Amino acid sequence: MSSRTMARIRGVDLRVAIPLSALIILAFLAPVVMVALGIAPYWFHVAIVAMFYATLAASWSLLAGYAGQFSFGTMAFMAIGAYTAGLLGQFLAVGVVPGIILGTLLAGLFGLIIGALTLRLRRTYLALFTIAFSEILRLGLMAEHKITEGPDGLPMEPLVNTTSKVPPYYIHLAMLVLGLAIMYALVRSRFGLFFRAIREDEEAAAALGVHVVRYKIFVFVVTSMIAGFAGAVHFHYVEILTPNVLLILQMSIVITMAVIGGIESLIAAAFGAIFIHFGLEIMRPLLNWRLVVFGLLLMLTLRFFQNGLLHPILQFVLRREDVLAETVAKRKLPGEGDPA
Amino acid sequence: MLIFDQCIESISYLATLLTNGLIMGIIYALMALGLTLIFSVLGIVNFSHGELYMIGGFVAFFLLDAFEGLNPILAILSAGLATFVIGAIFERLFLRPMHQGKVQRTGEYAILVTFGFAFFLQYLSLAIIGPFPFKASRFVDLAIKPLFGVIRVFQTRVVAAAIALILIAILLWFIQRTWTGRGLRAVSQDKDAAAVTGINPLRMNNFAFGLGAALAGMSGAVLVQVFSWTFNVGIPAASKSYVVIVLGGMGSIPGALLGGLILGAVESLGTGCFPDPSRGLAYQSAFGLVIFALVLLIRPQGLFGRKL
Repeated sequence: MSSRTMARIRGVDLRVAIPLSALIILAFLAPVVMVALGIAPYWFHVAIVAMFYATLAASWSLLAGYAGQFSFGTMAFMAIGAYTAGLLGQFLAVGVVPGIILGTLLAGLFGLIIGALTLRLRRTYLALFTIAFSEILRLGLMAEHKITEGPDGLPMEPLVNTTSKVPPYYIHLAMLVLGLAIMYALVRSRFGLFFRAIREDEEAAAALGVHVVRYKIFVFVVTSMIAGFAGAVHFHYVEILTPNVLLILQMSIVITMAVIGGIESLIAAAFGAIFIHFGLEIMRPLLNWRLVVFGLLLMLTLRFFQNGLLHPILQFVLRREDVLAETVAKRKLPGEGDPA
Repeated sequence: MLIFDQCIESISYLATLLTNGLIMGIIYALMALGLTLIFSVLGIVNFSHGELYMIGGFVAFFLLDAFEGLNPILAILSAGLATFVIGAIFERLFLRPMHQGKVQRTGEYAILVTFGFAFFLQYLSLAIIGPFPFKASRFVDLAIKPLFGVIRVFQTRVVAAAIALILIAILLWFIQRTWTGRGLRAVSQDKDAAAVTGINPLRMNNFAFGLGAALAGMSGAVLVQVFSWTFNVGIPAASKSYVVIVLGGMGSIPGALLGGLILGAVESLGTGCFPDPSRGLAYQSAFGLVIFALVLLIRPQGLFGRKL
């Protein structure tokens, strides 16, 4: 008990804070090392895309893992943010930064609408509804090709006017750290408890005074805004945007990353995304077989490691009981003794 | 605007759209029946339904390709058998543990694991078969004259719908009149009560999933002569099946039949009557999805749903 108190300064657990800050510093220094070693810019690109996916996977894990809302709409909100920024730039010559802000806000607005509409729907129905929503959006963006350029792709202003990959790397790193910080603060606060209470038992939570409607919509809006923000930033970097980002494959990749990382831990989900994205890049010579491996890994993780593959490792590295011990599935199962 | 005017003024144009829509609707109903069967017995939505449909189509295609003059009926039945086995194995390995308390959060698990299976099957067939589309030749050669002299129909689709009708009839007979069918219905109504009367719910789950998968596979086999076939052909097919079962009510067989017909008609009329024909075609699937979203919002239990 005393060692635990000593390891805390003003409520911040040093055993978490130190490794995490070390990682962030490492990520900040990585480009210097990479440039010094002469590593191809291609790997910068891989790292940038990995951080984009990490932001999305973490936001999905907040929505689905913490709050228990199984939405398949993360990519749709991402696309709303990106298309808003792109179309405003294209037609109204709105700058990059205001475009990103407006894209984030519009994604949040759509999150509000969809979150409010789907309040009654649970699990499967919500999953089906959000799949339908993102498919309608994709078909609409394809059909209205006079405005969106459809499959030819909407050109986007470059994020920064340079061919170097270093500035976009830092922008994406900042985006990831900011997104994680906001979400982490959220789940560490009372809101996190409310989300989990609603996930476990909506009626019981409501009976105990949790404003279920407010928090369900709130978490939908927050995660939509983070997805929209990530989309707007990332596609200014990619400079071209097609409705293909809404293909179900893209959403499956985000979900798989979060599940393999650890669906109930934001940081594990983000790490899962980074590891898997690099893994998929390294496995490129395997062509389509790498996606087969990926699908199999998803099924096996779900069946045998429900807390994800990376989450237990992270727990070990952080030498901590758990990032949030009580959130991880530890419910007693029928026909089993006391859980460890 | 030409097509739009035609839609208002010409009865024969409207009748053509409606007839063709209903023909597709019968096929949608067959696809959705498998999904609704799985939902009613296991209580889960199978997100890999479209991929089993895709595999059924490929099995039929390669059999017909390998054995010249093979009876298409045999090819369809083999496709059903193959997908039955695949479905039953998957159920045994990944879904049965849910009912034995080996998995937590079964609702979320079922969504994700069937979704993962879909992903796996899709890219497995891409890796094995490749990305190129295949087109099977017609099952039968017969010329169909326009009905009443004005309503033109697609020959391949009519054949597909006829086979689908026969399969639906066999399925209904099986569910209503045989002991196994009664067992399935008993488990779907009350698992524990069924177990008391000597039905093994776990075996029924396994059988229901296999049968649902076989229905998906057979509808794929029936349609392989209609559309060109690729590894990702299951995605739109599955989304249509979801629309149908949500519209009809999850787990309801009459709902799946009626829902299929409604979806077919709406898609056909929506596409044919959209003011701008090129965009109308692009929006074809969107019409169904809009209905779907509306049903979920206004009446989530669908037309014949038991409860939500």
